[in-house]
Amino acid sequence: MIYGAWICLLSPLAAAVLITLAGERISRRTAGYAATLSCFVAFAGALASFISLLGRDGGDRSVVSTAWTWISGGSYRSGLELIVDPLSVFMMLVVAGVGALIVGYSIGYMDGDAEERRYFAYMALFVFSMLLLVQGGNLLLLLAGWGMVGLSSYLLIGFWHERPSAIAAAKKAFVMNAIGDATMALAFFLLIQKANSLEFGILGGEYSSTVANLVALGLLGGAVAKSAQIPLHTWLPDAMEGPTPVSALIHAATMVTAGVYLIVRTHPIFEQAPHVADLAAGLGAATLLVAGVIALVQVDIKRVIAYSTMSQIGYMFLGVGLGSYANGMFHLMTHAFFKALLFMAAGIVIHALAAEQDIRKMGGLRTVMPRTYWAFLIGSLALVGIFPFAGFFSKDSILAAAMDHGTYGYILWVAGLAGTFLTGLYTFRLFFVVFWGEPSAYVREHFHALRRDVVGVSMASTVGVLAVLSVIGGWIQFAPWWHPVETWLQTVAEPVVSPESWQEWVSIALSLLLGLSGIAVAWLLYGARRFEVPRWAFAQRTFERKFYFDELYDALFYAPSVFAAALLRRGVEEPLIAESASDLGSDTRDLGGLVARAQTGLLRTYALAIASSVAVLAIVFVAVK
Amino acid sequence: VTTLLILLPLGAALVVWLLPLNRVSAGSLALLAALAEVGAWIQMLVRYDFARGGLQFSDRRSWFSDLDVSYHVGVYGFSVWLVGLTVIVMAATIAYAFWAGRERTRAYMGLMLFLTGSIVGVFAAQDLLLFYAFFEAMLIPLYVLVGVWGGPGRMGATLKFVLYTMAGSLLMLAAVVVYGLSENTFDLVKIGESSSQWIFLGFVAAFAIKAPLFPLHGWLPDAYRESSPEVAAVLSGVVSKAAAYGFLRIAVAKFPEPAHDFRAPILALAAVGLIYGSLLAFRAPDLRGVIAYSSLAQMGLITMGVFAVNDLGLDGSVLQMVNHGLISATLFLLAGMVERRALTGELGRLGGMARGRPALATVLMTTGVIALAVPLSSAFAGEFLILAGVFQRGWGWAVVGAVAIVLAAMYVLRLISAVLHREIGPAVSDAALDLRPAELGVTVPLVACLLALSVWPAAITQHAFRGDHGAADVAAQFK
Repeated sequence: MIYGAWICLLSPLAAAVLITLAGERISRRTAGYAATLSCFVAFAGALASFISLLGRDGGDRSVVSTAWTWISGGSYRSGLELIVDPLSVFMMLVVAGVGALIVGYSIGYMDGDAEERRYFAYMALFVFSMLLLVQGGNLLLLLAGWGMVGLSSYLLIGFWHERPSAIAAAKKAFVMNAIGDATMALAFFLLIQKANSLEFGILGGEYSSTVANLVALGLLGGAVAKSAQIPLHTWLPDAMEGPTPVSALIHAATMVTAGVYLIVRTHPIFEQAPHVADLAAGLGAATLLVAGVIALVQVDIKRVIAYSTMSQIGYMFLGVGLGSYANGMFHLMTHAFFKALLFMAAGIVIHALAAEQDIRKMGGLRTVMPRTYWAFLIGSLALVGIFPFAGFFSKDSILAAAMDHGTYGYILWVAGLAGTFLTGLYTFRLFFVVFWGEPSAYVREHFHALRRDVVGVSMASTVGVLAVLSVIGGWIQFAPWWHPVETWLQTVAEPVVSPESWQEWVSIALSLLLGLSGIAVAWLLYGARRFEVPRWAFAQRTFERKFYFDELYDALFYAPSVFAAALLRRGVEEPLIAESASDLGSDTRDLGGLVARAQTGLLRTYALAIASSVAVLAIVFVAVK
Repeated sequence: VTTLLILLPLGAALVVWLLPLNRVSAGSLALLAALAEVGAWIQMLVRYDFARGGLQFSDRRSWFSDLDVSYHVGVYGFSVWLVGLTVIVMAATIAYAFWAGRERTRAYMGLMLFLTGSIVGVFAAQDLLLFYAFFEAMLIPLYVLVGVWGGPGRMGATLKFVLYTMAGSLLMLAAVVVYGLSENTFDLVKIGESSSQWIFLGFVAAFAIKAPLFPLHGWLPDAYRESSPEVAAVLSGVVSKAAAYGFLRIAVAKFPEPAHDFRAPILALAAVGLIYGSLLAFRAPDLRGVIAYSSLAQMGLITMGVFAVNDLGLDGSVLQMVNHGLISATLFLLAGMVERRALTGELGRLGGMARGRPALATVLMTTGVIALAVPLSSAFAGEFLILAGVFQRGWGWAVVGAVAIVLAAMYVLRLISAVLHREIGPAVSDAALDLRPAELGVTVPLVACLLALSVWPAAITQHAFRGDHGAADVAAQFK
């Protein structure tokens, strides 16, 4: 089992290193195959770990394997160690499985790009980092994986580095995530001071409420930054500058859900800090609404999906913040399936339309690409949570959990239901605009079908597999009747809330109803075009400017730090420090010149100097006596 | 072994100076000597008994017996690592200077070798006067290297450098003399602790200028900009560590009371320097400016770790000294390589160099992400330990450090994208080549050391001080 876990972790790293070192000695296609193969090997390793964990008793399902001491300071030390337990295996399967599918898809999508090798090296590096994040056996290694996914995300968003917008987006993502890393590191410093260790076990220890609150806040800061929740969410839509498979892998299926994993992994500290846990749930609820509203007005196909990702992660935060850990993780898994599917299908659309992403130029694609149309429909239905697709099973139990959390829970529950309506509306707005109606002029001019070679096959097969998963993937758990996911995760994270069965049914019925009415409204407005789309200039502008978060942060942080830097440079560095040094130099020279003038060479001057000195000294001596 | 490590480069310097060698043979001889030095260090690393710790490979000859001054050298666990940093960086810089070709090769190579010997001497000296002598001996070749082989503004840069360091040296000389006379010995191992604040401040001022710490860094931007890239690499990579070493070996170890009393102001200066350097690095207009100010910031961070005076801070600062030495040496060499191709270091005129130059892009990107302390890198390990250490002295210090981590991400990414990404800059011609094999041969070993340390930072942190609880009790380390 341990070998399985190590193979799972290291094979993508090996692929990344080999592709980098091999350079032009291997063909571009080979690099793609190597990266894909390594991810499938990783998946096999994860599967092996899963099977051997299944063979153990519930309480015995946690193994830590230490390679060596990674870092130490006095008596504090953290090992380079992996943890294999139900939670990490769950994540390993999702990450390696979806990762392998998406890397395989990239073979087709990136075909013909001049720097395919670099792309696949980065992809493999990302999968390694993500696996390190979920397998890391202590908090420090978790943070290491956390930072590494940030790095590989930076590299992949900025993959087309001659585009200034891509580079700016990549930097923004990295810096936003660095803020999260910093707050996590501060929480860890506090833990080291209190417990002198960063093992997961210490989180269950007894801490004063201040300490628990501060640690939980620090962790929440990291989670919010990585998972693009309010207020650290602004980087995610910009991150769509990267290639589409990157958006699918990193910014939908895996990395952005790391915050959810983090909260589940460190849940003991959140249980000691209930207010911070409530805050997490509240931020999730706020994000799911705000992102849902913004998604209504976006015109870039990938950005609409990106905002829906933010919104869905809001649901997960809502779930895990309330203590309904298994439901949050279950939604993470189904979301990975259907969101990857949507991105992959969108990727095929973009590919077929010569890299066009503006939905205003699309339309009527149903007739020219029927299979993609069906795949997109499946993904959309799963996203809205319509029976019997995957999202139906996972989203509703999160809402049911909210009903079991007092008044605050009911507020969140209403927000979640409103979000369901929004989800139906924005998802099917996208769907109808892109696929229904007559083919637009742009489509008629630029459309070209997928080729039936490796390029087409690799893309189509991935979409097919994900479509199947989006249909059947949810069936493994149906909260009112059977819940294997919850049982599986129980030893790691015992849920805090347990909704009644009527609460489950009410949530299911209402969210299904609202989701369907969202779809119906979308159909009226965009499908059948029975009504004019309502426009309120102010709201429209606010949504399009994304509630002015970017402008706010610019004014609050970026501009002041540029200003401070300029001020320090003009006000302190140049006049005081650089000038004073130069002045010091010239003063010394002047002083030297002054002293040199005393060297007149005239005997009488010297005699006068000696005589006057003696006289002064004599007076001084007399005076002192 | 210690004496050999000091004398080998000094002897080689003499040979290079005295024999009428031509350019190639002088360069190869110097490179050979530098590599032999690395070999000798590996020998030392293998033979040093880390389990026992303490002073090893010591050598003691009386010099003036009435003042108890002696030639006393030896190494502690952490000095082994600093000596290693010195010999590796010096070998890389000598190799680069040889490849790039400097005027008057014999004089240049001789000075570089002399510099190597004196820096190793600083890290190994166990006698105050000897320490002072090596410290000064280290500066002389630097004056010449900056002043003769520097860029157009070299005279001004040298003048500033000389004035600042001279002021520091005089203060240190006074401190050394008063301290040694009052304790009746100059032997660093035997000499007792002192509680004199004035002597402490004399040492601190000298080291603070050399490091440099804010606001005593007036010499830094010019010296780093005007000198040749390999000299800048040595200045910021290795020479600055002599100051950090001084803080650790003398200021903290021998003056526990004043170090305690002055902790807050020194930490404050270091923290201000950390933020100040990071902000200026973020707006610096040229490559070397970014690296120079980031170096100022990093020295502030290392100083914070030393003056936290606890296990975490000290282990972290030793690790970070080695990390930063390797990082900034690599970055300065890379800056030199970029400037060689573009004939300018102005960020506004560079850009797009990643296209068609995979080796340059990979090496610069790797070094850069280690420099910004991405988690899992050795620099992350060092910074994490340092900040965890100062956190225990007050959470505010660590918050300042955390802000600096974010700023570091901002200025390093700015540097990387200005050189490698975006549209091709006006100064970058299509004819500019990728890194040549020789340039790879210089930089890749340095990056490899960094990667190895990233996999196993505990190699240093577990093998710097004696035992588990040794570092906090600094004085006991040096018995």
